[in-house]
Amino acid sequence: MSNSVNISVETTCENQIREIAYDGTELYQPPPTLSESLAKCAARIDFSKTSLDDLKKEEKSAAAAEDKEDKDNQFQESLWPWDAVRNKLKDAYTEICVLSDVISIAKDKRYLVLDPLLEDGDDTKAIVQVYSRKKALSQAAQVLLGGAERLRTAHSEQRSRNVSDFHIELLRLRQNWRLKKVSNGAIIGDLSYRTAGSKFGMSGTFEVTKAEDTLDEEGGAGTSATASAASSASSSNNGMQLKASSALRVIVPAELQGVAYIKVITQKDQEDLCTAQVNLMGHGPNITAQVGVWQKTLEFAQNVLFCKELFAQLAREAIQLQAPIPHVVIGNQIRATLLPNIQLIISLCHSTSFDSSQPAPINDHDHVLEHSLHQLLREVHYKNSHHPFPHPASAPLGPSKKRMLAGPTAADREALLDMTKTQTILEQIIAQAQHIFMRKRTQYVLDTLARDVKDPQIVSHWNAMNSPTMSCVKINIVTHGYDAIGRTSLVIHVKERSLKCICRDGRVMRLSYEPQELRDLILCQINSHQISCLVSLARCMAWTVLSNSNHLGIGKVEPLGNASSCLLASPNSDRMIAVQIRCDPQIDVKVYIARSPRQDFFPSPLVPEKFWENLGGNFKEVRFDKIEGKSFLNKMEFLMASLTSNTA
Amino acid sequence: MAISSARESLSLALNNRFLPNLEYLLQGSILDTAVEHLMHRLKGLCDNVDTSPERFHDLEVCMSLRQPTSPQPLLLRVRRALGQDAPFQMRYLGQPEVDMRRPTLVRSCMDCACTNGILDFLTEMGFRLEFEYIAKGYMFRKGRMKITVSKLIKIVPGKQQDMANEPISQSYIVELSVVAPTGQENVGEEMRVFAEQLKPLVQLEKIDYKRLGNLP
Repeated sequence: MSNSVNISVETTCENQIREIAYDGTELYQPPPTLSESLAKCAARIDFSKTSLDDLKKEEKSAAAAEDKEDKDNQFQESLWPWDAVRNKLKDAYTEICVLSDVISIAKDKRYLVLDPLLEDGDDTKAIVQVYSRKKALSQAAQVLLGGAERLRTAHSEQRSRNVSDFHIELLRLRQNWRLKKVSNGAIIGDLSYRTAGSKFGMSGTFEVTKAEDTLDEEGGAGTSATASAASSASSSNNGMQLKASSALRVIVPAELQGVAYIKVITQKDQEDLCTAQVNLMGHGPNITAQVGVWQKTLEFAQNVLFCKELFAQLAREAIQLQAPIPHVVIGNQIRATLLPNIQLIISLCHSTSFDSSQPAPINDHDHVLEHSLHQLLREVHYKNSHHPFPHPASAPLGPSKKRMLAGPTAADREALLDMTKTQTILEQIIAQAQHIFMRKRTQYVLDTLARDVKDPQIVSHWNAMNSPTMSCVKINIVTHGYDAIGRTSLVIHVKERSLKCICRDGRVMRLSYEPQELRDLILCQINSHQISCLVSLARCMAWTVLSNSNHLGIGKVEPLGNASSCLLASPNSDRMIAVQIRCDPQIDVKVYIARSPRQDFFPSPLVPEKFWENLGGNFKEVRFDKIEGKSFLNKMEFLMASLTSNTA
Repeated sequence: MAISSARESLSLALNNRFLPNLEYLLQGSILDTAVEHLMHRLKGLCDNVDTSPERFHDLEVCMSLRQPTSPQPLLLRVRRALGQDAPFQMRYLGQPEVDMRRPTLVRSCMDCACTNGILDFLTEMGFRLEFEYIAKGYMFRKGRMKITVSKLIKIVPGKQQDMANEPISQSYIVELSVVAPTGQENVGEEMRVFAEQLKPLVQLEKIDYKRLGNLP
């Protein structure tokens, strides 16, 4: 209390404004007269709020009050403000009169006896209170105990009967699915992807009801498998023979029932190259065990919806896209041409009844394509709902960061048009399928070449890290035993419809999807590898390289390279070796040797002197396959060694 | 459609009412102590806030140019995101129009992304610094509505980057805005409904600057 602050309240010095005239002059109320203020103060007195002691005092001064009352009566008509006071006093007077009557009767002690009040009157009250509280509490406890007992019996009954509770099921359903209660008491759920950014028009609403007769349901599902397809709520329409113990039913619209998947087939002529089936089943943690059978039903329905959306999107794009070979959409099938003679077929398979005789899913389906299709649609969803926030915050909402930079960086019309272009799902999936195909083709070409060409060896390293439309392979060409002398390496980037080869010398070559081009390139690389290794080897053996050429320009002239040759001279220049390697259609090595001057010179009229022999002699072909040695370089080494030793 | 010059394309845009856009704006403020609650509510109401809300930290500079013909100076606001590599944003805001029939304040606005030379350029043109402040806070999005909850920070002249700058008040300013082309009347209603949902926490209103300007 010591902290309390004294606040003085004062009336304002000004008088109250009675009215404000239109010209703004204010008319004040005249200040109250003394009698007026007295009347006002007296009206505030609350006569009923006085203590007993005060009452006694009042009794003594009753006479005085009476006097005052007389005065009041006089004022009654003229002065209304005193009216309230008068009424109160009159009431008080009546009370006092009654009291005095009672006291006078009590004095006689014939009709009324006054007893002193018990001092412990309050104590008895407390005991009564305690008792009443005790009683109320025990009643409340009774109610609670009764309720608990009922709950316990219900619970034990439920456990013994093993019947799941509708509300518990509903709670679980609510944890995983979007539900709302509509006006007529029904519960409607939504399994569409709309909240995740989908703009697919098909509704994904389902209805939740209480299963009335669990036993009948069970019997029905058990006896007639065909009928179960029609009954939407039963879990068996998805081939799940789960015991129908659920107290909750979900009713899925007819168009979302059944099983759906998207099948992707890459076809060459009529032969399937690879297939992929897309559905959402088997993804994510399986929570069916913890929750009811409806979980499976809803998951299947959601999968149907997803597949339908994906297919609708693809079909729309297929029609809109201006491809050189137009895409064909017939019924539930989209056909797109990847490369000549190779087609991509995407089809939507939707069966409303589960058929156990359905062929088992093909095991070698393409997981990559399957995953990509998923991912692409999810990405579309994501982009629909996630727009980048502008920075600074005052910038308009909507344009991408790149677009915002277009002004300051003075982007031209071309660049702006580029920004508006986005790849559709179909384009992306075609690109990915093309890439997969190109990669397989490249692998095949490299593997067959590595198998067929033993000398030199072709080693290819595929990069483990790659993007859906780009992968990379490094090729090393080495000769066994001569690794130190030379190694030719090149990198091939496998793209969607083309290959890009980067050679060690920095040459970059772009190849089309035709496998023959890659084959030719590798063969040419083998050629140049052999020649360059031979040149190094010759240097090691002190032979002189007179000339070498990687492009002789003979044979079928290829842009990538063709026959290559090399001319070597022995250390003392009396022998020469000429090597020619052709690569079309196969690697073909021709080796010639010449000797000048010949050891045995016989002057003839045409060549009278020996020095003419220094001009060079006739080349004679060596039967190269007969030469000892494992590989080309090995054989050449032997050949050079033998020719060198001859001259020594 | 071939557009020969920038002037022509501007007049084309003006004729076809691509420009200027209209900004529909509601403003309110909330005390620092209660801003947590507002953030929670916005997280519940706005689009994809599964990640943490987007933060921003911008410096706004208002430049003015005295015009010989009118007593009102021309004001241009240049905003720059601090600590982010984003272009500067120059903004022209028209006279706010407080129409009783409309649920929001409406003003014409033009936004333009600029390079960092814009301030020098404006100074060369004769613009003078009117005021500057730092706005720091969070951004939310709901459809085409942008909701910013920002703290305004006073700048000690010459110390834009300094941490010593003090907030102007003990509260956050909350702005709900939509920038839309002319003739989209249902925007205001959409915003009013949204503002209604934030009601007990923050009272979003159309604030008439002309009246505020008369305050001492």
